Amino acid sequence: MAQALIVKNLDKHFGGLRAVQDVSFTVQENETMALIGPNGAGKTTAFNLIMGFYRPDAGSVSAFGREIVGLRPHDVCIHGLARTFQVAKPFGGMTVLENVMTGAFLRDRHPDAARENAREAIAFVGLSARENTPARDLTTIDQRRLEMARAVATQPRLLLLDEVMAGLNPSEVDQAVGLVKKLAERGLTIVIVEHLMRAVMALAKHIVVLDHGQKIAEGTPTDVMSNPEVVRAYLGASGH
Amino acid sequence: MKIAPRAIVAGAVVALLVALPLVVKSSFALDILIRILLFAFIGTAWNLLGGYAKQFSLGHAAFFGLGAYTSTLMQIDLGISPWIGMLAGGVAGMLASLPIGWLCFRLRGPYFTIATIATAQVLMLVFLKLRDFAWGAEGTTIPNLGNAPLMMQFDGKAPYYYVVLLLLLLALAITAWLERSRIGYYLVALGEDQDAAEAVGIDVPRVKRDIFMISAFLTAMAGTFYVQYIYFIDPNTAFNFSISIEAALVSIVGGVGTLLGPLIGTVLLETTSALLQSWLGNLAGVQVTVYSVILMAVILWRPTGIMGFLAELNARRRAKRVSS
Repeated sequence: MAQALIVKNLDKHFGGLRAVQDVSFTVQENETMALIGPNGAGKTTAFNLIMGFYRPDAGSVSAFGREIVGLRPHDVCIHGLARTFQVAKPFGGMTVLENVMTGAFLRDRHPDAARENAREAIAFVGLSARENTPARDLTTIDQRRLEMARAVATQPRLLLLDEVMAGLNPSEVDQAVGLVKKLAERGLTIVIVEHLMRAVMALAKHIVVLDHGQKIAEGTPTDVMSNPEVVRAYLGASGH
Repeated sequence: MKIAPRAIVAGAVVALLVALPLVVKSSFALDILIRILLFAFIGTAWNLLGGYAKQFSLGHAAFFGLGAYTSTLMQIDLGISPWIGMLAGGVAGMLASLPIGWLCFRLRGPYFTIATIATAQVLMLVFLKLRDFAWGAEGTTIPNLGNAPLMMQFDGKAPYYYVVLLLLLLALAITAWLERSRIGYYLVALGEDQDAAEAVGIDVPRVKRDIFMISAFLTAMAGTFYVQYIYFIDPNTAFNFSISIEAALVSIVGGVGTLLGPLIGTVLLETTSALLQSWLGNLAGVQVTVYSVILMAVILWRPTGIMGFLAELNARRRAKRVSS
């Protein structure tokens, strides 16, 4: 199996805080990997490093065989990586369709073609009924759907989802899990950052655990959950 | 076959604007109409950057002044027609937008705005000091050649009206075209959220640079027209801060990021200002006060401007029709 993403010895500090320290992991094509860890573990920073929003102090990131450290975010996107944000960032004043069209324009500059591609992505996430709704009027789950549709419209090969379950109620979590599974079935390689273990277990067979910016465990869900370091990180150093 | 109602309305408005000077003969009224079209033109140019892309410049006087000085210098020193000078001025404004954008786009929000104010003020100071090259603080009058259409000088005001009307239609056509193109979507997207725009593959710095260039080009053309119209140029006229303010103001009142917002805003503001002047004379501060009140009212009650208000009414009417 080919490797979609290779992260090697990634380092980033903000002043005195070492947000990400010597983190390495590899994502295989067509797999869904989960990046988990307590708050402040460096998960979102790792995303921002991969996507070009921050520049790492050291280390390399290669996607589909090409080094992408130093590329700006839009170049990373052209290269086939798309992301969603922890706090959804829809273009509030635009309608759902217009939002997704901005993504679709990456691969086709003609508005009619972009509109068609956008409609397809919107249908895929189940938002067709809201096509003409201004994005700011959407519910939380629909904003997540919108962000996924907008990302999918850029026709990525690798999708990074940053806490798409945050703020969803249990039945919405089931819907979102179903949607991520559908994306994976479409052949997309997916990396999720997620707090909700139920969702992680349902989606990923490969988990990387970060704590205080360092990788403390990696493996299958069962491996990771039985790892004493992981238990300590989640339950506190005193242990129970 | 059905013709879009939008096209019919647009055609009717253009026909009306073309016919106006045939009816309106008073020089005073024509002067007001020319001012309305001029500021609608500047506002429309500003709106591309400040409205659609939400990069709130208050330094557009920089380009207005550069356009004005470029054509005037070319005309007086080299005898080149202002028609060519207008294009050269546009190019000068466009080129100036590159370093100005390079500097100012590093900043976001209010800091960007302050930086743009500073660049226009610096340019004004430069032209105040350039005594040998550009007449310094005294400025100069533009030689009156009588009726010389090739030198953009005309008998009577009606020809000026048509020149500025053409400029406005040009700016509106560019805006309408951009609105429907990929760039139009990109402008609105980056105005809403720059990070999200980058994440969907938009080269934000490049799109900002390009739209700033177009906006600066058009604003510089307005500068040339204005000094040709008033036959006088000095740094305080060409780089006046009120030009920057008015460009933003008419767009905000009319509705930022809409095709017709700046035009409608200018009609309202300039008419108000003209009426005030005829009632109260040049009473100091009245115009500024009234402008401020209108601006506050719009920001408080109708932040989307008149166009936003109309869209709301339209949506409400449609909803009512559906429910009944």
